[in-house]
Amino acid sequence: MYRTVVNRILLTKNTGGGRRCLLRFPDLRTAVSSSRFSTTTEPQTFPNRPLNPADSSTSSSSTSFQTSSAAGDIPRQERKNPRAEYQGEQARVLQASLRHVLRLGWSEEAMIAGAKEVGISPSIVGSFPRKEAALVEFFMDDCLQRLIDRIDSGEELQDLIPSQCIYKLVRFRLEMQAPYISKWPQALSIQAHPLNVSTSFKQRAMLVDEIWHAAGDEASDLDWYVKRTVLGGIYSTTEIYMLTDSSPEFRDTWLFLDNRVKDAFDLKKTIQEATYLAEAVGAGMGSSLQGFVGKVIQR
Amino acid sequence: MALRLVTKTLSSRISPKLCSASLLHSHATSFGFKEVREEEKSQMVGKVFSNVASNYDLMNDFMSGGLHRLWKDRLVSKLSPFPGMKHLDVAGGTGDVAFRILESVNSIKRRALQDPLNDDLQEETRIYVCDINPNMLDVGKNRALEKGLGEDKSLVWVQGDAEALSFEDNSMDGYTIAFGIRNVTHIEKVLSEAYRVLKRGGRFLCLELSHVDIPVFKELYDFYSFSVIPRLGEIVAGDRESYQYLVESIRRFPPQEKFASMIADAGFQKVEYENLVGGVVAIHSGLKI
Repeated sequence: MYRTVVNRILLTKNTGGGRRCLLRFPDLRTAVSSSRFSTTTEPQTFPNRPLNPADSSTSSSSTSFQTSSAAGDIPRQERKNPRAEYQGEQARVLQASLRHVLRLGWSEEAMIAGAKEVGISPSIVGSFPRKEAALVEFFMDDCLQRLIDRIDSGEELQDLIPSQCIYKLVRFRLEMQAPYISKWPQALSIQAHPLNVSTSFKQRAMLVDEIWHAAGDEASDLDWYVKRTVLGGIYSTTEIYMLTDSSPEFRDTWLFLDNRVKDAFDLKKTIQEATYLAEAVGAGMGSSLQGFVGKVIQR
Repeated sequence: MALRLVTKTLSSRISPKLCSASLLHSHATSFGFKEVREEEKSQMVGKVFSNVASNYDLMNDFMSGGLHRLWKDRLVSKLSPFPGMKHLDVAGGTGDVAFRILESVNSIKRRALQDPLNDDLQEETRIYVCDINPNMLDVGKNRALEKGLGEDKSLVWVQGDAEALSFEDNSMDGYTIAFGIRNVTHIEKVLSEAYRVLKRGGRFLCLELSHVDIPVFKELYDFYSFSVIPRLGEIVAGDRESYQYLVESIRRFPPQEKFASMIADAGFQKVEYENLVGGVVAIHSGLKI
């Protein structure tokens, strides 16, 4: 369900080539709860089902549902896409709730305040499957979308070497969290909760993949996993470092990030050189070994 | 009326629609497995509950082995009550659900986390307990007194009919009906009334005994329902008939999927249900947007 909220947000924004990135994780976009009934569009095609005649005289409600039954014909255009409606409303509530997070934390209270701000009954908070987690996940998706927008609009990223590109993008992404930094540990603990781990892991995987793709990565073998894991590690450690950083504008964090990125690339070079060395030694050893074995056999 | 709708839609929807019209009619004229006239059903149900009122809670404990408490706890936690909420509990005569909601709103944990700018919201919470049967309401009021909630102005006891509520449109944040919708004459009227009184963003929650599909368990449950429960009713409450009505009415009530589609027809979105104990009990929920 939650993925379709994101898709709706994504689809309503007009960004040029942004859609390509999300297609690489098609399985994440399906919003199905298999063991439970959820509304499909079919029941919604009977939005204004006329009730028993007795009802129209008793209730004086002004919902569109009643008035159109009085009109006789059923205007289907009134309920264009009702399934999307509640998701749109939920997204609005979550967006408004973000403004209360600094004061109230990533909690139900912030969501209740957000709902009141938007003019919807706070009961809607109960309809989010994992309440606070829904708010955190919404924020993560929102940040990812902003990152994608930045990547698409920023031409200069192509000109940078990979390590520089990665540094810039990770920094840009972490800066989005800077306003919420006082409450960010709470968000991290919510994401680490067993119920929420799988979704937060997927979101981070998408993020890391996005950054590597922007840095021009074309690998498709085991290397792909290694690169994602390494970047995931860099991102997470920097994020945690940021939590206790009190330097102005997080200068120390960016320094830390820069060092980690350099370390990773240096490590890559080191591993490459080690493999070359091993190959050379192996080749040298191999030829002398061959000669030795040949002599033994000849005897 | 039903046929006119059918011609405008995909052919795959024809059989369900015709079925639903007849299903509702059959619910309105069924009293357990007996057939009665629509006008009489309400009276007969009223008699049942007047008879069982005094032993209602005791019998609930016996029949469900105390599980009904957990089911109601689950219902209230799904609801997620908040301070300042206006809630309507229909067919909630003896007050079980209402007390739980009140406790949840007033809990220490909740108060500790509260928004300091909205301290007085606690006072504005209103839980309306509506029941058609005055005997059940009396039992509820007495229990409130025993719990020390007699003076609490958050609880309001109202006598009323679920099919024609006396509350205004868009006035309630939440609506619950626990083990009550089975007994109404016209389910769709109750659902549309629920839709009417809820605000935008309000939730409808229904806790009800439902259908079990799991093979072996189903047989055990049927045996328990038809052999053990009426006998228990006879021994504990001295009233076999009422409990026979109870188990029969469970079988006549629409199954989970059907009921969920009825809720969607009333205008609710995000309609879901959760089975507890393999389907013995189901909690259906819907959102009004």
